[in-house]
Amino acid sequence: MPMLAELQNAMRDVSLGGDAAVLAPAIIGDGFAAEQRLNIHRNNTTILLSDALAATYSVVYKLVGEDFFNAVARLFVRAQPPRSPCLFEYGMGFADFLATLPAAQGLPYLADIARLEWCWNEAFHALDVAPLTSVDLADVAPQSYGDLVFTPNPSLRLLASPFPIKEIWDVNQCGANPDASVNLDEGPQSLAVLRPRGSVEMIELSPGGFIFTEQLARGASLEQAFVTASNAEAQFDPSSTLTVLITAGAFHTFALKA
Amino acid sequence: MMDHTAHTKRSLVSPIPARAGIGLKAQHYQEIIDTQPDIGWLEVHSENYMCAGGPTQNWLNAMRERYPISLHGVGLSLGTAGPLDPLHLERLVALERRVEPGWVSEHLSWSIASGVYLNDLIALPYTEESLGVFSEHVEEMQDALNRRVLIENPSSYLRYEHSVIPEPEFLLEVTRLSGCAVLLDVNNVFVSAMNHGFDPIQYLDQIPTQLIGEIHLGGHSQTVINGRTIRIDDHGSRVCDEVWELYEHLIARIGPTPTLIEWDSNVPELDVLLAEAAKADTIMAKAHPFALLQTSEEARHADAG
Repeated sequence: MPMLAELQNAMRDVSLGGDAAVLAPAIIGDGFAAEQRLNIHRNNTTILLSDALAATYSVVYKLVGEDFFNAVARLFVRAQPPRSPCLFEYGMGFADFLATLPAAQGLPYLADIARLEWCWNEAFHALDVAPLTSVDLADVAPQSYGDLVFTPNPSLRLLASPFPIKEIWDVNQCGANPDASVNLDEGPQSLAVLRPRGSVEMIELSPGGFIFTEQLARGASLEQAFVTASNAEAQFDPSSTLTVLITAGAFHTFALKA
Repeated sequence: MMDHTAHTKRSLVSPIPARAGIGLKAQHYQEIIDTQPDIGWLEVHSENYMCAGGPTQNWLNAMRERYPISLHGVGLSLGTAGPLDPLHLERLVALERRVEPGWVSEHLSWSIASGVYLNDLIALPYTEESLGVFSEHVEEMQDALNRRVLIENPSSYLRYEHSVIPEPEFLLEVTRLSGCAVLLDVNNVFVSAMNHGFDPIQYLDQIPTQLIGEIHLGGHSQTVINGRTIRIDDHGSRVCDEVWELYEHLIARIGPTPTLIEWDSNVPELDVLLAEAAKADTIMAKAHPFALLQTSEEARHADAG
């Protein structure tokens, strides 16, 4: 008679695709092969977790179709099953997993679309905070602006891609024009994904603006962020990016660097 | 052994009434807010609301202002050998404090092995070892929440060679050892009875009235393997006639009791769910036309035992 822990580990392995024969002696057949009964549980795990991935990665699902998605999801579920029962947290590694799949190489932007959907998912479930507004900064002396540091809105995620991922995401939303198409040669795109209030927003940034935002989100001062961004984009204009970020609610609090 | 009275004396802010309720699905949020249908209460899967923030929490808050809420967990995995996930229990406690639900429930099953969550409710072998593991976990859950919880009987597709305790006896023993009450899922009793060839009425009749805090009704599917039918609990269709008959039998004995219509896959229009709930309300009213004159049913169930 197997101990409970031993039995559960063996059933976990079977549900994740392992050989059911090892467990057969512990299961009452009663008209079926034990493997057939265990297969019901393997199907439950595979199908329900694939459904959870499909809910989070609905654009990837639309791009590759049901059969391909389910086949990939099944591989992913078995390679990286969830460690938490909260399924809105499941699937973080899916984009990297897609990137390694030879069968997905025909859609070079697919992994970045998955990354964008993961950013959206994290932003959607992040802690709600009051966004910093320009009024909050009214008492800061102009000569101290360079020393400003910000805490980002907990929902803020940054993603850069060689493909126009926001356009691909847009045309694959419910209600989008079915005849709309995206020119993949539109080039790279740098996005801030965030949810300052009720709905998730995507803001396109210039290459310098992206580095600037990345620096600020990491706690760099405005001056440091500006220098780093200017090194990457000579004509970088921090004021327009800063206005966009503050208007979008990308920051939560500020302080002056000592 | 903990002090059971701690879990029974706590007054509930919003108890679940002895009426039909429905499982809350995301696609129905807006319609429920807009139309405020006359339903007794709503049940949600606890795990869907354990996020740090965001719109789903706001929707639940809006529901909470309008209806009593029951928190139904699918992820604590009380039947897993070894310790409960302390982080998950912490998140459940935080959610319970925020929602102040009429009931908190979990399943007589397991879903986690060595930290991997299988997203499946798997029946336990009914042994002395399992009884110890499960009852201690229910106690731990109740101690953390400082309230009595409900434990739901599972649907099962397999039995183990080394199981020695019949399921209803195991469940009753868990209630005795831990002080919990029962969420009696009539569809699960029927599914398991058909799959394993036992009498569902006998099972239902074994659960004492005062232990039944809530009833679940849902649909299941049928799959034919080797020319034999196996029933799968997928909550994807209407409650079948046989389950309605079992429900009538149960209600005739125990009186009006909070009854949930569960529908989690192929979710239909809200009206379809409301019609199923109305059917349960009608069965309760027909069997007990003067139930309103009794002392508050919800108080009886909330303080049961």
